[in-house]
Amino acid sequence: MLGSSLPAVSLAAAQAKPPLTTPAEAKSLADFDARVKAYYELRDKVDEGRARQTRTKEPEKLESQRKALAANIQKARAGAKPGDIFTPDIQPYIKRWLKPATKGTDGKENTNTLKEEKPIVELKVNAPYPENQPLSIVPPDILLQLPKLPKDLEYRFVRKHLLLYDSRASLIVDFIYNAIP
Amino acid sequence: MTSTRRLSLSIAALSLVLASGVLAQQLTLPNKPDSLKFAVIGDTGTGDAHQYAVAEKLVAFRNQFKYEFLVMMGDNTYGGESAKDFERRFEQPYKPLLDAGLKFYAALGNHDTPNQRNYKLFNMGGKQYYTFRPKLGVRLFALDSNYMSPEQLTWLQKELEASGSDWKIAFFHHPLYSSGGRHGSDAALRDQLEPLFVKYSVDVVLSGHDHFYERVKPQKGIYYFVVGGSAKLRQGDIGTTGLTAKGFDTGYSFMGVEIAGDEFHFQTISDRGVTVDSGVLKRRPTPATK
Repeated sequence: MLGSSLPAVSLAAAQAKPPLTTPAEAKSLADFDARVKAYYELRDKVDEGRARQTRTKEPEKLESQRKALAANIQKARAGAKPGDIFTPDIQPYIKRWLKPATKGTDGKENTNTLKEEKPIVELKVNAPYPENQPLSIVPPDILLQLPKLPKDLEYRFVRKHLLLYDSRASLIVDFIYNAIP
Repeated sequence: MTSTRRLSLSIAALSLVLASGVLAQQLTLPNKPDSLKFAVIGDTGTGDAHQYAVAEKLVAFRNQFKYEFLVMMGDNTYGGESAKDFERRFEQPYKPLLDAGLKFYAALGNHDTPNQRNYKLFNMGGKQYYTFRPKLGVRLFALDSNYMSPEQLTWLQKELEASGSDWKIAFFHHPLYSSGGRHGSDAALRDQLEPLFVKYSVDVVLSGHDHFYERVKPQKGIYYFVVGGSAKLRQGDIGTTGLTAKGFDTGYSFMGVEIAGDEFHFQTISDRGVTVDSGVLKRRPTPATK
């Protein structure tokens, strides 16, 4: 999924060096994909009624839709815990895949970019990302190393910790402590 | 007429002139009837007096120069995205411009969540990155530099390749070139974007993030501007990098742009109404037009 999921026409993709996958890696990756898909389907299921996001010129509506969607997801995932999606199986692989993008001169550029923002965020699954904190910039090189995510799910960083972030509901879906060295 | 009456009339006239900004800022743009005119603002969403001061100058500037829309370099609302935040940090400061029917086209900054794409007054069409053509021959590309995913890069490549516009202008939050001491050039982003900009003859790149104004010396034939001081200011942050063609980090600012044929005219104005930079850039010939 890593390299093969990238569009062939992308210059960035052409430059990417997808890590080799062993059968064990492939299995963990397939399991991760399935868990991400399950989250995505769950969100789609609860993304209805007043939670459904529409384009509007009324900021009140934007706010209420986002909060309603977040509340619906929180309710549907009431028992969610760290590692539900970033399982212990996938975590070491993700850390390994990230390594090339954090090494050498290019890696220094990437880590400098990540260090630029220092958001203060309590890492808690199914909790809202604090509204008053900036979101990290995620360097393209790093995104190229990570499994592709469906629409409105993003990788973000809080210092060295990797977040799976639901950008539609502004929720922390899961996280990995110290994902980068 | 008595001398007192004459004096009070003179004071009234002077006040009117000052209010319209005519004395404070002299228009250097050609102001041609058929040109494309727009304004550039960046890092605006504070809701404080500085944002209002620049907004007032934008209104005064429009009395002289009828720009048709504005582009926003991101950090559109600092500190939150509640209904009140949008009101305090966007709708109120720019009310005269919004009431005049002007469109704002936003890019996302690191203080913005992707949900802003659904806010109709930002004209993002529900997308984190998008393109629009305000006039035949000019196309703008709004990118989400917070999250430069492979999908976005592919989209950009396709859009640049497909665009037959003479002028290609990209805008996004993080500068590829900047002399900012706090942030500076984003080298990781540059590695991905610059080859596309060069290959597809992007002419001008507008960014924010660093809270000042900087016109960068052309890099590989491309003109770069940092317009990140429209409400926040990092005084004295422009370092000695060799990149700077013109810098302004002692006041707040915005930029007016006029595209007329093969010329890109710009005028940057401070919150005090002083022109801090102006000039004209010539579009480089693309392979198709050589």
